[in-house]
Amino acid sequence: MIGETVNGVPLILYIGLSGALFLLGLLGVMIRRNPLLLLLSVELLLNSANLALVAFSRYWGVSDGQIFALVVMVVAATEVVIGLGLVVAVFRQRIALDVDQMTSLKG
Amino acid sequence: MGEQIVFGFAAAAAIVSAIMVITLKGPFRATVALIGTLLSLAVLFILLMAPFVAAIQVIVYAGAIVVLFLFVIAYLGERPLAEVGDRLGRYAVFAWIAVIALGAQGVIVLATTKLPGFRDDPKQIGDIGSPRAIGESFLDRFIVPFEATSLALLVAAVGAVLLAKRAVRHEGGR
Repeated sequence: MIGETVNGVPLILYIGLSGALFLLGLLGVMIRRNPLLLLLSVELLLNSANLALVAFSRYWGVSDGQIFALVVMVVAATEVVIGLGLVVAVFRQRIALDVDQMTSLKG
Repeated sequence: MGEQIVFGFAAAAAIVSAIMVITLKGPFRATVALIGTLLSLAVLFILLMAPFVAAIQVIVYAGAIVVLFLFVIAYLGERPLAEVGDRLGRYAVFAWIAVIALGAQGVIVLATTKLPGFRDDPKQIGDIGSPRAIGESFLDRFIVPFEATSLALLVAAVGAVLLAKRAVRHEGGR
């Protein structure tokens, strides 16, 4: 799959690692029931996307991908702030922290 | 060759700590395992000639975001967080099917892609990751996304304050 005369690390390895991390994060989102741990898995997803962005930035030799990765970090920060605010608000209602039991809005 | 060794260690550490993030029972331990993934990715960013992104990864992610998680976990306490057990049985089967299908697609795409230089040495490039290059890009070509992120941060701050305020009133505060 990879040539024999390669001394550096080719792009395919970075993209493969990014995909593996994305799959682990996806599995975590679907299996975990504690909303805090769900948010942690979402962080894994965002980080795998960041790795792919920075790897392609290196591949094309432009900094656009790194700019996008920095913007993704800001979005991750906002998402964590709102998500943890929601978790604390739910906790104060004395409801169990379990996404399977938060069914008030379910049709 | 040294680059490949560093990549191998960092990639293995990232995968192992990601597995710990999604399997460990206690939220505190899972959060600390997430730090391992974040630091491994920072090492990979340095390998990819992105030192500024690596620094921000350590400062903002491993610093601020993880600390926010730890604060909330410490505030909520361990008591009601007793994990009810992850989804088992029939639901987990669908999760595994989705993940395995997506992984198979990814492997096929990576094995058949014709992107030039995808499997070769990365080509030599100039300065793309220094704070200077990033800053020039941000203030030159990407000024609108830059300002949009500040708006997103403002909205998030207002939303967090609103959420917290409503919760306090519910407890009998003002």
